[in-house]
Amino acid sequence: MAAPIVSFSRNAAFIRGCSQLCRRTKRPLSRTACFSKCSKSLSTSVPVRHDYDLVVIGGGSGGLACSKEAAQLGARVLVLDYVDPSPRGSRWGLGGCCVNVGCIPKKLMHHAALLGHAIHDAKKYGWNVHVDPTIDWSTLTTVVQQHVKSLNWGHRVQLKDKQVDYQNAKGSLVDAHTVRMLSASGQETTVTGNNIVLAVGGRPKYPDIPGAMEYAITSDDLFMLDRPPGKTLVIGASYVSLECAGFLTGLGFPTTVMIRSLPLRGFDRQMADLVTDHMEGSGTRFLRQHVPMAIDKMDNGQLQVVWRDGNGQQGGDTFDTVMMAVGRFANTGTLGLDTVGVEWYSESGKVIGQVENPEQSSVPNIYAIGDILHGRPELTPVAIKAGRLLAHRLFAGTHEHMDYDKVPTTVFTPLEYGSVGLSEEAALERFGSENVEVYHAFYKPLEFYIPERDASQCYVKAVCKLDGDQEIVGLHFLGPNAGEVTQGFAVALRSGLTYQQMVSSVGIHPTCAEEVVKMGITKRSGLDPTVTGC
Amino acid sequence: MIHFRVESQAHVLKRSLDPGKHGNIMVVSVKVEGLSAFLEAVENHKGKAIFALFTGSHDAQGKSWCPDCVAADPVVEQCVKGAPEDAVFITCSVGDRAFWKDQNNEFRTHPKLKLTSVPTLIRWETPQRLMEEDCAKSNLVSMLFEED
Repeated sequence: MAAPIVSFSRNAAFIRGCSQLCRRTKRPLSRTACFSKCSKSLSTSVPVRHDYDLVVIGGGSGGLACSKEAAQLGARVLVLDYVDPSPRGSRWGLGGCCVNVGCIPKKLMHHAALLGHAIHDAKKYGWNVHVDPTIDWSTLTTVVQQHVKSLNWGHRVQLKDKQVDYQNAKGSLVDAHTVRMLSASGQETTVTGNNIVLAVGGRPKYPDIPGAMEYAITSDDLFMLDRPPGKTLVIGASYVSLECAGFLTGLGFPTTVMIRSLPLRGFDRQMADLVTDHMEGSGTRFLRQHVPMAIDKMDNGQLQVVWRDGNGQQGGDTFDTVMMAVGRFANTGTLGLDTVGVEWYSESGKVIGQVENPEQSSVPNIYAIGDILHGRPELTPVAIKAGRLLAHRLFAGTHEHMDYDKVPTTVFTPLEYGSVGLSEEAALERFGSENVEVYHAFYKPLEFYIPERDASQCYVKAVCKLDGDQEIVGLHFLGPNAGEVTQGFAVALRSGLTYQQMVSSVGIHPTCAEEVVKMGITKRSGLDPTVTGC
Repeated sequence: MIHFRVESQAHVLKRSLDPGKHGNIMVVSVKVEGLSAFLEAVENHKGKAIFALFTGSHDAQGKSWCPDCVAADPVVEQCVKGAPEDAVFITCSVGDRAFWKDQNNEFRTHPKLKLTSVPTLIRWETPQRLMEEDCAKSNLVSMLFEED
């Protein structure tokens, strides 16, 4: 995809007026914080007392977790958070993408879509449902936004309660210890910190085509869209694209996904294909090997999209809403990384961590966590854990580092896809096909029988080493409640789970999760992996 | 269902704030007892920033049955001075202990309140809410009154 165009409106208004000047916590430094200060002083032999022990730029999942943990350990902490409105003017409060325009509203809308589906199933189970359910978009966005706002408030309460100073200001680096704060009214002030954590996260990219910035929305806008999206085109093959297209279809909006090449790049290929197969079977239209060329607004307000297909043929259609989900860029452009010599990848804008200390940048007292850390998964719980562990290393003298291996995740498409560890491709590449055994099963959830739901894509596979007890290096689950199923298995995989241990476990009947411990068919055998009966 | 009457003719206190900081700004303070009186007070001040403290009622001797409420009172009274100039501050008594403890009482069930504890301090029609001992923390209470 072409380089992102980043030109948010210049007169970016602040989300909340933070009229209060930040009030320094009056607590004396705890011994641990003092120790770090003293060691710093000794090493530089200049006794510098900075305004704060820690300045965190970015109040998302990672930044908030790090700042609260540091404050609990006695450090004096300032966190800066500022949201540039989206090109469409969407804005939100404290808490970052996950809370405001990511995981939380996404999961709620996904759930809303599943509820609609459940109403249809309910008829088959005997419920007297007299009308076909339709979604009231206004009610949905209102309740979702109410919940988001209550989380914004909760974050502010927690910061205050834990005596973390907070400023609704945009931070950038002046030198290794000095941060410039741009306030709501455009006032500039500076603050100094012994340590600085960069946690500014990412924002959606726009492809470089006519009309994209003017007319398309992104996930920054969808969850607070002031009108029903109607007939929607979602452009991109990311999990964001598929999740949004999935719940929009489920909510009853005619939805098309446009994909240039592979869906869910980086995930297991077979699983990704099953995900899109299921979506297609559930009514989402897919335009594969298509790229958008231009978007224009017609007199009736609809959007005319022109595209090119894999054969170079031009085509097009009209939509009420076009959403870009072609990836995200690290929001580091205005941080001043070069000013202080923080190394970053020009391609992604991400900060390069040190080998022995993954969150530490090339400037020793400046760290990066979350979505702007190069080569690490862009996941809220990863950012939170990395932030907390970093706070402990800085202010409690611990040495524990974030383990980025075997991080589980779930894609909340209509049929959910949970995974932990390696994809089948990655395992074959790492260990060689002669050293890998893959167990798999197609299964039908009990609940699917009565409403005659299609279970063609309900599938599970374990990617194992072939030798010995067959250590499981990757587990993939496609089915209802995949997030709930995968979490526990992720613990087991991190504890070194082998295939032999797994199949010696007893299942819980009747569940989907039991299919994981019952897997007995290998791909190598070529036998039919379809589960029948109990 | 018990219906409380308004304690007095929704008696209104005008309080002058620290003139050095805010000029001669007045926050309208209203005291009511019972849900219907509360809703009436809200209706009377529609369009303004409305803050409400739900608190345990005092007995004939003027004693509150709710120790957290007693702890919160002076903090809230101090911090309300930082509220916006056109704000209304409603103190609503939720009844005696027996009434409050009834899990079906109207404060617990009203969809816009759904109170679970007293004291509860809210900014009306927002998710901004503080409960129990948080109502006695001046930094939290100030934030609720001063920042939207």
